[in-house]
Amino acid sequence: MSGGRNWTVRLREAGVRAMPPEKLLPDGQPVYMSSWIYLFGVLTIAALVIIIGSGVILGLKGPAWWHYTGIGHFFNSVHLWAVELFFFFMVIHLWGKFFMVAWRGGRARTWMSGAIAFLIAIPCAFTGYISQQNFDAQWIATQAKDGLNSTGIGAFFNVLNFGQMYTYHVLLLPVIVVTLVAAHILLVRRSGIVPPLPLSELGIGEAASEGVAGSAA
Amino acid sequence: MSLAAIVNLNHPATYVHWHFFDMSVSNIVVIVLMIIVFFAAILLPFPGSRRRSES
Repeated sequence: MSGGRNWTVRLREAGVRAMPPEKLLPDGQPVYMSSWIYLFGVLTIAALVIIIGSGVILGLKGPAWWHYTGIGHFFNSVHLWAVELFFFFMVIHLWGKFFMVAWRGGRARTWMSGAIAFLIAIPCAFTGYISQQNFDAQWIATQAKDGLNSTGIGAFFNVLNFGQMYTYHVLLLPVIVVTLVAAHILLVRRSGIVPPLPLSELGIGEAASEGVAGSAA
Repeated sequence: MSLAAIVNLNHPATYVHWHFFDMSVSNIVVIVLMIIVFFAAILLPFPGSRRRSES
């Protein structure tokens, strides 16, 4: 059958309509992106890539390796510090976008996907701390148990169950975070990078904007 | 231990406590660093931005 409007054709056409190739992989970026503040999204993604890569190696080798060998310690530290940088960059990215009012121009879903990715990343990191298989992990797990019990979540999220927490850490939560980050990037590509706020909206007025334009010339 | 950290970490965390405020020094350092990097990212000129705005 050729040229029929079967579901694969409809899916392809819907995909190209939603995400035209020139938007997905653009030739260039707007001139207003010439600021360091626009780099923190991609820095967060770079940290996430290192987290996933080092995490795969840690998962393949296991706790005895990451506790008792030099190279295991190294990858353990890479994984930890990549997480520290991931949150460091993500928070600055969040601040930048918040003060830029980045949900303007139909970008609400972009903002929400980023916000939810941030919220899911927190338990993802937390389950990592209690998956270390050391006294630190035991301490954090027993303290967290009381905290979580006070919320009424009970045994559904049992921080004393290593198998459950490890599964959350290496599979369930990372899949959600990576999926949300992928959706976030696609939404950014579709809507474009949010432009800076117009000076008039900041209450500075046209006279000020003329002055800025004049000084830049 | 032979692989000693640059900063001696073999002690309980130091906390800053002031009325309701209670936070470890390491967390305060990270938050202050984030604020510094945030303002630096806004204020420092980006390489090539001046050339592009003039063209």
